[in-house]
Amino acid sequence: MTMELSSQVTWLHKINPSFKFVIIVILFLGLLFIHDINVMVNLMFGTLILYVCFTGHPWKRLLLIAIPFLLIFITSSTSMIFFGKGDVTWFKWGFIHITEESFFRGVHLGVRGIEFALLGVTFALTTRPVYLFYSFMQQLKLKPKYAYSFMAAIRLLPIMIEELQTLRYALKIRGVKHHKGLRGLYERLKFFSIPLLAQSIRRAHRIAVAMEAKRFSQTSKRTYYYQLGFSRYDFLFVVFFLLIITISYVAMIYFPYVDIHDVRYEG
Amino acid sequence: MTVVTSVENLRLKFPGSNSLLFRDFSLSVQKGEKVLIVGPSGSGKSTLLQVLTGLIPDSIEVPIKTDNVTTPSSWGFLFQDPDTQFCMPYVDEELAFVLENLQIPREQMEERIKANLDQVGLSFEDIHTSIQTLSGGMKQRLAIASVLALQPEVLFLDEPTALLDPEGTDEVWKTIKHIGEDKTLIIVEHNIEKIVDFVDRVILLNEHGKLIADGTKDYIFKYYTDTLREHGIWYPGVWDDYLANSSLKQTYHEEKDSHQERICLSEFTGFRRKEKKIEVRKADIHSKEWIAIIGENGAGKSTLLHALMKLIKTKGLYKINGQQYNKVDEVTKHLSFVFQNPEFQFISNSVYDEITYSLSQENWNQKEIDKRVEECLDVYNLSKVKTNHPYQLSLGQKRRLSVASAMVRQQPFLLLDEPTFGQDARNTFDILEQLEAIRLQGSTILMVTHDMKIVENFATRVWEIREGKLVEDCTPNEWIKRSANSLKITDEGRSNDNGVKLSSNLVTQN
Repeated sequence: MTMELSSQVTWLHKINPSFKFVIIVILFLGLLFIHDINVMVNLMFGTLILYVCFTGHPWKRLLLIAIPFLLIFITSSTSMIFFGKGDVTWFKWGFIHITEESFFRGVHLGVRGIEFALLGVTFALTTRPVYLFYSFMQQLKLKPKYAYSFMAAIRLLPIMIEELQTLRYALKIRGVKHHKGLRGLYERLKFFSIPLLAQSIRRAHRIAVAMEAKRFSQTSKRTYYYQLGFSRYDFLFVVFFLLIITISYVAMIYFPYVDIHDVRYEG
Repeated sequence: MTVVTSVENLRLKFPGSNSLLFRDFSLSVQKGEKVLIVGPSGSGKSTLLQVLTGLIPDSIEVPIKTDNVTTPSSWGFLFQDPDTQFCMPYVDEELAFVLENLQIPREQMEERIKANLDQVGLSFEDIHTSIQTLSGGMKQRLAIASVLALQPEVLFLDEPTALLDPEGTDEVWKTIKHIGEDKTLIIVEHNIEKIVDFVDRVILLNEHGKLIADGTKDYIFKYYTDTLREHGIWYPGVWDDYLANSSLKQTYHEEKDSHQERICLSEFTGFRRKEKKIEVRKADIHSKEWIAIIGENGAGKSTLLHALMKLIKTKGLYKINGQQYNKVDEVTKHLSFVFQNPEFQFISNSVYDEITYSLSQENWNQKEIDKRVEECLDVYNLSKVKTNHPYQLSLGQKRRLSVASAMVRQQPFLLLDEPTFGQDARNTFDILEQLEAIRLQGSTILMVTHDMKIVENFATRVWEIREGKLVEDCTPNEWIKRSANSLKITDEGRSNDNGVKLSSNLVTQN
């Protein structure tokens, strides 16, 4: 979610957040049924256009966020490349068995991982949480109780980060030394989570009381400061993806990168 | 006169506690009254406000029994903590949240938001300003604005300035006086100096929620000063009374004995994220000094302490007893640190373990540890609660424990970040006396504070930090003289807060 990252407002920001959310969920699901590596790569490039050109964030930040993409690619592709099933052996060493089929399946999975990440991050970078929850309340009829709880919780995050810093200082000064390995992890979890949780629970309770003191109630109707509707940008968003999908398939037919159209193993 | 809020024969018990907090308690408030409720911590002052507004039992489920409760037809509640009053990230959204709850049409919102901000003297170029960027005082004024959006007839204020610095405190009380003129006010407050002129009725509770006194302020201050002092209330003149009765008083400004140089700083700078945040050109710290570090919010006072503890990157010369150290571990052999919020430095499950922790890290033998810990428990008056979890202690006990666990290794330098912040008068004097005792034994105290009375009566030296630099290093007397002079020069009506406080001190001294 855009915490305090400032950015220019682009047409992606102006899309109705619920609508954007639903479309992206549909795309997520749709991706699971694409088994043609050519289409998948094309789709990735299509989404990359959105990410690079239309999020409105400075390119340095975009590059920084893109670093984990590589990690996603490597982790999701390698295990399939090394251990997947296949007939045309390229390399074999102990358990590691790379075949032509497993290689392309691995790359396919990696690209799908990146595609998921691109869609998700593009959504997060162009959607203010407050608008998202207002839109959820207005378009998807989410109960205000839940919407405002989430918004209040988001407000607590920066405070918690500050507290975490103080805690780290305190532990350093008290000379707390952590054991190595699992035990150290448990100790660290205990040292950090108990004070942080104790503070957060208290704070959450106080905010809840303060909200009710401001006449927030579950039953009454409410008016909205932000009225979120639909616009031509929503239309543009759908057209963009329809176009990308169409181009991806056409390109697969006329300009395939590899002559593999189903990466699943059938042998 | 009509009664706007009242309660008859209230009985209330918190789950888990053994006794009733209120036993057949009755109170009623007339329209237009300005009521101040005072009492020791745990006396149920906040609880009482919550009962009178109906927050108990509607929002907070606490078993109560009453014959009759009248809640006002329109009321607003201002809470203590500026960070836990808001559920939205921006100023306009927060105020809009209230208006939404009242079902105000969207078209009227912006106008009303601006009007409410105007009432509390807040003006923003863009009302879509992040709440996170506001100072504590501004946040509380925003909270007042959102209370005003409810158009309340009765205002309930629950220690609204307890977590603010002096500047913010002034801002907030000024605002409350401005907007509260035509309203009924019910105020709970420890530090009543700033508000006492404004109220006309004072109610005194004891620690069991029993009503001790109820009357005009003149009556209360005439007959109940002892009770006020006993309960740690910051009533006007509490410092004078304390100083008059204190035996430590004479030793404060005693000549320091032979100055063995302990800490040397020269061209010392501290960095946060590669940005220079604090700079000390030259300074030496000697044993038995009490250095009060003062300055505005965000000037870099805490950062200086962090730099001395080596928690942040530093450059320049920094020697402790002629030795240069680079690691936190090495520095903590000589320096100990007390945080503003004691809860963050507690790392064990009982008061006893908390104090032994640093010692066991240092491989003391069990006998020595036991002896030293018993000593500490005794000095800091924690023996009775030594098996309790640190989180179960009262505010004052927590503070004492944090000092005890910092001092148990008897390091020669003690650094404290506003240790008296939010404490009642009795706790404050307790802490100050303990620190003074530590100092007389040969330790050095460096303490960030906003309280000019502490500077005046306890410190032996003043460091003023301005915009990340140590700009003033002098004795308290010199500092008082200097700021008194600068006060004369600056326009009296717009003098800074320190100046105002000092001038009133000077008047009481003469």
